[in-house]
Amino acid sequence: MNAPGSRSFQPSDGAGEAPEDAGDAGRADHLGFVAHEVRNPLAAALWSAELLARLSPEERGGARGQKLASTGLRSLLRLRRLIEDHLLAERLDADGFAICLEALPAADLLPDDPGALGAAALEADLEPGLLLEADPTLARRALEGAVLAAAREGGVVRVEGRRWAGGYRFRVAGARPVPGALADPGRGSASDPRGASISLAVGRRAAAAFGASLRVEGDAFVLLVPVAYEAAAADGSPAAHGEGEPR
Amino acid sequence: MDRTPLVLVVEDDLDILEAICDALEANGYHVARARNGAEALERVVEARPSVILLDLMMPVMDGAAFAGQLRTAGRGDIPIVVISADGNPRQAALIGAQGYLAKPFDLQALLTQVASMTSHV
Repeated sequence: MNAPGSRSFQPSDGAGEAPEDAGDAGRADHLGFVAHEVRNPLAAALWSAELLARLSPEERGGARGQKLASTGLRSLLRLRRLIEDHLLAERLDADGFAICLEALPAADLLPDDPGALGAAALEADLEPGLLLEADPTLARRALEGAVLAAAREGGVVRVEGRRWAGGYRFRVAGARPVPGALADPGRGSASDPRGASISLAVGRRAAAAFGASLRVEGDAFVLLVPVAYEAAAADGSPAAHGEGEPR
Repeated sequence: MDRTPLVLVVEDDLDILEAICDALEANGYHVARARNGAEALERVVEARPSVILLDLMMPVMDGAAFAGQLRTAGRGDIPIVVISADGNPRQAALIGAQGYLAKPFDLQALLTQVASMTSHV
């Protein structure tokens, strides 16, 4: 699905991995995986709340109470990411997301709190001077999916952004992509204690929906985004290259 | 001699593992923990549990493989309760488990099932 009037931005070299959506059997398998992923943190949240409720007020302030409260909060945050990811995927698949293209600086797509995504740190090196043509919500989700995957092992994530082939290329490096990383996960796929087990597949959908592309290239994830125009001319006004036309 | 039943909980999800162990310990059981089937086999050798609570989908060695190796090791008489997020009780029957609980089950259902399987201890 593409935004009305948007262009599908595909790289010219055909490199990398860009899986198609699964068929009916694959979709059923994926939905089974999502159900499994949701039930685990739901169970942990329910049980920690129930056990917490059984404690006396004094016990709740103690070590056991604090541990149960932490488990409950962590499980709910995990659940939130899974549900938000799944709902966004469903809306995109049903053409139910109103896409709004804006001209955005590349830095606007970076996550606000990399630590919340599991990264030890995020090192960004972005070429300035261009405005991207992107839906802000979807573009951030696409890059977030890549950062979450690269932060899988808790290390430093490096994001480089460069003008490339008429668009803008984010290269996200950290943990090495696993085989089939961008496909919808199914039975036997790895779980994720951050609730990020479907975030990369959702990021792929989010990118495609506004004419961008999320793929694997070598040991990194690459997000290719159309460029709207140069950020600013000398007088401060946008130096447009034709309204709405990419460079 | 301590007659308190020992429950082995085999679960790769740390939050689930800790919540179940907390509930069991709060109800007076001794608890052993394992994050996969291979660890669980080691725990069984260290101390024979009265009952095993077993997740199915785990890395390294899954629940079905563990149950098979347990039988091969001559410990197939230890009762197993499958705790699964798959929602498919047939899987428990296929590995010869005595009980099945679908996550997110009620804690009371877990405690009732464990109590019934350890009442002989």
